[in-house]
Amino acid sequence: MDFEEEEEETQPPQVIDMTTSEKVVDLLNQAALIPTDEKLAVLKQVQELIINKDPSLLDNFLDEMIAFQTDKSIEVRKFVIGFIEEACKRDNELLLRLIANLNMLLRDESVNVVKKAILTLTQLYKVTLQWLVRSKAVSDMQEACWDMVTQMKGDVLALLDSENDGVRTHAIKFTESLIITLSPRTSDSDVPKRQEGDISLDKVPKDHLYIRYDTLCEEGKTALEKLLKFMVHPAISSINLTTALGSLATIARQRPMFMSEVVQAYETLHANLPPTLAKSQVSSVRKNLKLHLVAVLKHPCSLEFQGQISTLLLDLGMPQSEITRSTPAPREQRKRPRHEPYTEGKKIKIEPALIEDDEDKEEPAPITAPKPPAAPVAQSAIDLTAEFLHPLLTSENVANLVLISMVYLPDVMPASFQATYTPVESAGTDAQIKHLARLMATQMTAAGIGPGLEQCKAREDEAGKEDGTGEDSGGKDLLIKRKLPAVMVGQAISVVGGYAEKPTTDAPAAAVKRLPEPILPSAQTKIAGASGRKKVFRLADVIQPLSDTQTENLTSKAVNRILHSEKAIAQSGMSHVRVKLLSRLVTQFEGMMKGDVLEFILDDIRTRSDLAFSLLYQEYNTYLSQLPAGLLDSYDHCLYTLLSGLQEKPEQRDGLFTKLVLEAPIITESALDVIRRYCEDESRVYLGMTTLKELIIKRPSRQFQYLHVLLDLSSHEKEKVRTTALAFLKRMYEKDQLRDYIEKFALNYMQLLVHPNPPSLLFGADKDTEVAAPWTEETVRQCLFLYLSLLPLNHRLVHELASVYTEAIADIKRSVLRAIEQPIRGMGMNSPELLLLVENCPKGAETLVTRCLHILTDKVPPSPELVERVRDLYHKRVPDVRFLIPVINGLEKNEVIQALPKLIKLNPIVVKEVFNRLLGTQHGEGASSVSPLTPGDLLIALHNIDSTKCDMKSIIKATNLCFGEKNVYTSEVLAVVMQQLMEQSPLPMLLMRTVIQSLTMYPRLGGFVMNILSRLIVKQVWKYPKVWEGFVKCCQRTKPQSYSVLLQLPPAQLTSVFERCPEMREPLLQHVHSFTPHQQAHIPASIMAVLEANKKPEPKPVEPVPEKEATTEPIPSPPATEARPTSASEPELQVEQSAIIKDEDEPMEPEQPVPGNLEESVNSVLQDSTREPDTPSPQPEPCDEPMEEFQPEASDHHEPGKDDEAEPTGPEAGSGSEDAE
Amino acid sequence: MPSHPLRVAVVCSSNQNRSMEAHNILSKRGFDVRSFGTGSHVKLPGPAPDKPNVYDFKTTYEQMYNDLVRKDKELYTQNGILHMLDRNKRIKSKPERFQSCKDKFDLVITCEERVYDQVLEDLNSREQETLQPVHVINVDIQDNHEEATLGAFLICELCQCIQHTDDMENEIDELLQEFEDKSNRPFLHTVCFY
Repeated sequence: MDFEEEEEETQPPQVIDMTTSEKVVDLLNQAALIPTDEKLAVLKQVQELIINKDPSLLDNFLDEMIAFQTDKSIEVRKFVIGFIEEACKRDNELLLRLIANLNMLLRDESVNVVKKAILTLTQLYKVTLQWLVRSKAVSDMQEACWDMVTQMKGDVLALLDSENDGVRTHAIKFTESLIITLSPRTSDSDVPKRQEGDISLDKVPKDHLYIRYDTLCEEGKTALEKLLKFMVHPAISSINLTTALGSLATIARQRPMFMSEVVQAYETLHANLPPTLAKSQVSSVRKNLKLHLVAVLKHPCSLEFQGQISTLLLDLGMPQSEITRSTPAPREQRKRPRHEPYTEGKKIKIEPALIEDDEDKEEPAPITAPKPPAAPVAQSAIDLTAEFLHPLLTSENVANLVLISMVYLPDVMPASFQATYTPVESAGTDAQIKHLARLMATQMTAAGIGPGLEQCKAREDEAGKEDGTGEDSGGKDLLIKRKLPAVMVGQAISVVGGYAEKPTTDAPAAAVKRLPEPILPSAQTKIAGASGRKKVFRLADVIQPLSDTQTENLTSKAVNRILHSEKAIAQSGMSHVRVKLLSRLVTQFEGMMKGDVLEFILDDIRTRSDLAFSLLYQEYNTYLSQLPAGLLDSYDHCLYTLLSGLQEKPEQRDGLFTKLVLEAPIITESALDVIRRYCEDESRVYLGMTTLKELIIKRPSRQFQYLHVLLDLSSHEKEKVRTTALAFLKRMYEKDQLRDYIEKFALNYMQLLVHPNPPSLLFGADKDTEVAAPWTEETVRQCLFLYLSLLPLNHRLVHELASVYTEAIADIKRSVLRAIEQPIRGMGMNSPELLLLVENCPKGAETLVTRCLHILTDKVPPSPELVERVRDLYHKRVPDVRFLIPVINGLEKNEVIQALPKLIKLNPIVVKEVFNRLLGTQHGEGASSVSPLTPGDLLIALHNIDSTKCDMKSIIKATNLCFGEKNVYTSEVLAVVMQQLMEQSPLPMLLMRTVIQSLTMYPRLGGFVMNILSRLIVKQVWKYPKVWEGFVKCCQRTKPQSYSVLLQLPPAQLTSVFERCPEMREPLLQHVHSFTPHQQAHIPASIMAVLEANKKPEPKPVEPVPEKEATTEPIPSPPATEARPTSASEPELQVEQSAIIKDEDEPMEPEQPVPGNLEESVNSVLQDSTREPDTPSPQPEPCDEPMEEFQPEASDHHEPGKDDEAEPTGPEAGSGSEDAE
Repeated sequence: MPSHPLRVAVVCSSNQNRSMEAHNILSKRGFDVRSFGTGSHVKLPGPAPDKPNVYDFKTTYEQMYNDLVRKDKELYTQNGILHMLDRNKRIKSKPERFQSCKDKFDLVITCEERVYDQVLEDLNSREQETLQPVHVINVDIQDNHEEATLGAFLICELCQCIQHTDDMENEIDELLQEFEDKSNRPFLHTVCFY
């Protein structure tokens, strides 16, 4: 736009030249200072001005313009190149000055500049040539210029080998243009309109002063040769190949003389696509090939090659119809009339030009790549070979070829083959066989073999002899021939694998030796003998494969050498290399070595641990590299062997086992088994479990797997293993992430107790499991170890135990109760969860709760909270008195008393336990517990138990228990008890029993007892029949001390005494007689009467007296008739009593000396009294009742009787029962 | 980076959907881009598969738009054709035929193999003059709106990568291989010369 404006502006003043010139100066000045973009615009203006507008200025400003060739901008430099081109085209003379600049730019550091320079040279080469050709006289300058151009041409051709793909592409295009320029344009040449005026070889005069026609012609052919050679390079890039294909098409169309080379090149390429191409590149190339083949086919001169071209096109997937459409109609007029008849005939048949060779041989001789004659030779060689092959392609031979070729097929199908493969449709037809023959001939000729080639060579040699230049060309030819196959073989190997072996006379035999592809024996019948047989050295031919066992043997020996060169290598300081080498070797090859190396390591693992680790890691690495299909087997085996080896070694303190476990990338199942075994070894259990613990903590991804092992061990049969495991688990239980798992495991395990039989899980896998085996203490404990050790850490778990407990069978319950002592004690009675358990006490868990309570209070007095819970439980939910026992010392006094009737009815052992608690006589440190009841209180409470609530038998037993505790129930205590009991009203039924028993235990209480007895008289003891009976008994036992007491009795009661114990009377009487008269005076007459009137059956009148007295008391005794006299006698009695008591205080002691008399008297009395009861028949009334009552009691008292008898042994029994507990 | 901006041509058959989508995106990214069709006519979907709307390359997008509005506004709104035409007319006035354009490009991207073949045929049938290379790359894109959008982004990415190479001709082969792997579709690629 700018430019146009400029133009418009400048147009008016254009009239004056100066203005243009000034303008240019101005623009150039600007250009020196402005940035690249604007600079380019400005320079373009200048170019326009000085080239198109006013070329006369060109010369003036040339230097200024060219100066920009050193500009740092690539674009500017490229512009300069363009300018050079334009300028030179405008004024050829400028070539002299500018060609050197172009040469400089051709060596620019920027590839883009170089590429532009190549393009320009492409144009200027023609320009220069034309200019020179036109010049009548050629100056030195011109000669030099041409020399430089020629040299540059060579440089660009050399750029076909450039590193840069783009540069090569440009070089190809240059070559294309060069070939066209340096070859003659013919009548059948396609000439693009634009290039009509271009120079070509035919316009170069053969007599030019400086330029040699021949040389140029030669150069053109060399260029084509180069291009063809370039194209068969095996590593050619797809773009270069595409470019070259296009160039060849252009060449073929514009210079039909080269068509045979081009078609042949296409054929070769099609059969040998470069293996380096990617799949999509292959399809791109094939597309191009098709396109260019069609373009060539359309050319009238393609007629000779139609067969080949259409076969190629068919192979490339073009339908026949389309091929036909692109085929030009046969043209009558031809450049070379000689050929016409032949070629045309063949064209129509669409056959390969088989017979043409003759003509071709002679005619296009000066065209082929290596030398003028080379091209036709190649062409005809293929034809000859193909012709030769055709009849040989019998089914049998082909089949053999295929079979042989199988061996050489590559492992992977090359992309090019995959892309180019099309099913052979016309297999077996003559046309196809011909095609096949031709394909093979192409390959063979390319590989430098085949009868065609030989023939051609021979012919050339002949021609060479005839021709003057023959020697030269022949020599060259040989050289090239040797070179060419080498290149071809190199490129063809991947596909064809042809090599320069000459075929032998025997065609089939040769076929066997030849490599893959459909190369048929080019039975060299004619020349074969001469050429003989050459054999290429191949390693595979001279060596024999080793047998498998040999290989194995050698390998393992080699490994062993490395293995046992330990010391030598260590000295050289390269042991790390050895280690690495070994581990690599061993992991790569299966077999014995692995075992050997492992064994070697285990021999001295301490020093070879680095090898062990290296091997292990290498195995793991191998496994990783094969993911996801890889197996861990090999790694597993390695790790397992190492660990087992370590485990079986007797002792090691270096922690290598731990290190190996912790550094192994993966712990496999079997490795874990070894670790487990390690842990089960009592001598290493700690180390093993420490390792396991590390694993659990440091490998969180699998920690539960490891933890499980430890958990399993927690019920191990070996105690040391078990306790260690438990200790570790307890510590881990603190960790939140493991807690749940451990807990769940423990609970699950405990849950097993619910089953009627122990699950097989509890028995080691190796033990034979009897499914129906009963639970044993052992198995029950197994289920509980872990749980119980967790319990003190987490009291909440206790509820789980309760629920399992309720469901478990009795045997298990018992075991559980035994097992929980330690943990429950550990929890302590302040545990809220435990308290909660007591509070809730699930149904069925009562015994458990009781057991807990017992455990808790065994040595410590119950806390108020606990007592409170138990009390609640007892009162509100489960009124089982047994609950109270453990906390009994925490209860209120009245609560205990209330509970007593129930308590004493329990199992004697339990009662004993209760009493022990209450009396603080528990073994050991029970001292601290303060019983709510004093021993006295207890005994009193027992006496006061309502007989409706509890049978007398239990009460008596209970009291006996008390008496059993001699050191608690001392005489003082008993005295207080008796005192208190006596003061009660009504009197407790067992009072006298207790008195008698106390007396038996502590005879020195006799005085006190007398006192009691006296006071009982005051309390009219006879009104309580049982007590009265005991009273009498007591008196009987305590005579003679009791005499004074007896004397205090009212006469009626005394009579009653005598009725019960008649033998008492006489001694008592004697006792009275022994009194001083004064004393005797104190004895009332009525008493004396009773004492003396034993013979008179007078008791009756006497009896009523007491009975009357009795009536005053609210006792409903039967003799209510005579109540009067009592009122009088009562005060007396009281007086007497008090007197006696006063007396007693003194006589207490003196009484003792008397026993001898007493006994005698008692005996006599007894004798008497035994008779007595029989006689007084009127007495039954008063007696009967007591008797009856007594009788049953007596029978009841069989046991008490026994107790009595046992009393002397009481303490022993007591201790016995304690023991029993 | 090449010293001059890449001259890009995007070619599909009717210069409506795929090439225009890419044209749109590439020009927004600052590329020197043109778009073309290779067909003999411009075809747009009609009421039935066998009844396409056919226009010649002289018809402007505006005219097509109005024509379709007149024919069945609802149908062509619903199938997105009107929207597409609306977008197109804001980019340029009418579709262009590749074979009629004598301008030179560095890079021609075709949207299906048939178009690629036509482009190649055309380029090869032209007389060579400057021997300036032009790379032709085929990216297969199905002719619908979604694929066109996806394809346009792929083309854009491709162009950006090529634009950023130091030496396009030297690196394009490798670049395309990478793209093939990445996008998991094959690219046909060749070079022609003006």
